[in-house]
Amino acid sequence: MKLNRRNFLGTSAAVATSLSAPMVMAGGHGKPRLVVVGGGAGGATAARYAAKDSKGAIDVTLIEPTRQYYTCFFSNLYLGGFRDMDSLGHSYGTLASDYGINVVHDWATGVDRDAKTVALAGGGAVPYDKLILSPGIDFIDGSVAGWDLSAQNVMPHAYKGGSQTELLKAQLMAMPEGGVFVMVAPPNPYRCPPGPYERVSMIAHMLKETNPTAKIIVADPKPKFSKQGLFEEGWANHYDGMIEHLGPDFGGDDVSVNPADMTVNIGGEVVQADVVNVIPAMKAGRIAELAGVTDGNWAPVNAVDMSSKADPDIHVLGDASSQGDMPKSGFSANSQAKVCANAVRGALTGSQVFPARFSNTCWSLIDTDDGVKVGATYEATDEKIAKVDGFISKTGESADLRKATYEESLGWYAGITSDMFG
Amino acid sequence: MQQGAFKSMGVALGLVMLAQSLHASDASDVSDWSVAEDILAIEGDREYGAYLSSECTTCHQTETSTEIPAIAYWPREDFVTALHAYKDKVRPNPVMQMIAGRLSAEEIAALAAYFENPE
Repeated sequence: MKLNRRNFLGTSAAVATSLSAPMVMAGGHGKPRLVVVGGGAGGATAARYAAKDSKGAIDVTLIEPTRQYYTCFFSNLYLGGFRDMDSLGHSYGTLASDYGINVVHDWATGVDRDAKTVALAGGGAVPYDKLILSPGIDFIDGSVAGWDLSAQNVMPHAYKGGSQTELLKAQLMAMPEGGVFVMVAPPNPYRCPPGPYERVSMIAHMLKETNPTAKIIVADPKPKFSKQGLFEEGWANHYDGMIEHLGPDFGGDDVSVNPADMTVNIGGEVVQADVVNVIPAMKAGRIAELAGVTDGNWAPVNAVDMSSKADPDIHVLGDASSQGDMPKSGFSANSQAKVCANAVRGALTGSQVFPARFSNTCWSLIDTDDGVKVGATYEATDEKIAKVDGFISKTGESADLRKATYEESLGWYAGITSDMFG
Repeated sequence: MQQGAFKSMGVALGLVMLAQSLHASDASDVSDWSVAEDILAIEGDREYGAYLSSECTTCHQTETSTEIPAIAYWPREDFVTALHAYKDKVRPNPVMQMIAGRLSAEEIAALAAYFENPE
């Protein structure tokens, strides 16, 4: 049997719908123009796939302020001492040299949806036929009383890769013997659901070696969290008595901080801390709001191609999007980017558009060679990206399996960063 | 040597090669496991395979093996056999079982046609 294009198309209503959409060709200005804002797991992947698969038929511009991108994923392993910061840094050189992408290192400061241009902080505007926004997250002002961005140098969030992560690690290294570390965990939804708890694990690993009488307190507004059983088992096995997790029953949903005297008020109990990591509530990166494609904190999208529900010529990827069942993760953004790039290429060049399919896996490291993972596959429905199937590591797994899971995560990191940056 | 026997040997050797490149968690005995001839005979749509391949390349690099094996230039039958082994849960890795689990035989054939020579 051969699955040819004709009977393939005959079996897929989604494809038929996509192909019936009007094709956006270059309006008398040469090649069709795709502009991508944000060079992380969503944006870099989308730019690379659009450029690679169109073989030069699309003029791709990637707008990203940083010249060296430090991944937020695996930054916890830096805190734990398993990776150095250099290993998390990636340049855009290959996307420019090997894929012909016009990499613009600047901030996108606005989108004129009528003129179809993106304004840059450095002046000027970049025209587009299709625009992909993949700006990641920003923080909601006032979500943790007493904290704002002016306090991030005292109480770092460390929830965007790079200097904030280095700052948190430096503070932890300088913590006095027997000191207290407090994490203020974020409410749902937020980037990387297991991230705060992997971070707690990695900090515990580091402190166990350098400062074993130190204490870790997590103030958490959520009654349940990702991979909870796995983390709690791991904390009991590796860091017994070191970590205190305070959920909403213990005031974790009623927290304020005072950066001036390094105190954290958790449900009326004032804790004197040495290092405080405030991970505030999150929202879509600001350019999504400026473009007028957000509804509340996030940008709603159509699952079939990640197009904005507010504008069919704008697509929103990754953490910034509101799409349904997928967690906000680098893996998810990368997966969504490929679906989006395929659809955008189809719209701009008339190439074949295949049905959307998505997947995600999140690995977390609890201690040396003790890795766990959770993953799922997803499909596009009319309402949302909907979960199809999934798995999660089990408590009580063998040390060999946990080691293999960790090693698999190393392969994934090498794979996804190669997939993003070429 | 009969052509059929030679072909079987080739598949068996391919499986040995694949087994060696798998993680410890995947080191199951699949030497007596095979895929039906009619499944191996499916001719894959290479262009569809190229699109589907993007799901693989989040973790697998095409030519560089890390802790996760490279998957470009695998013989078509080896690829089909490996993917069906995950789909049928003969091989244990849960990520691969999940990914292969929702691939149809035609989609696996399409991927095999693409990865046999992805250039």
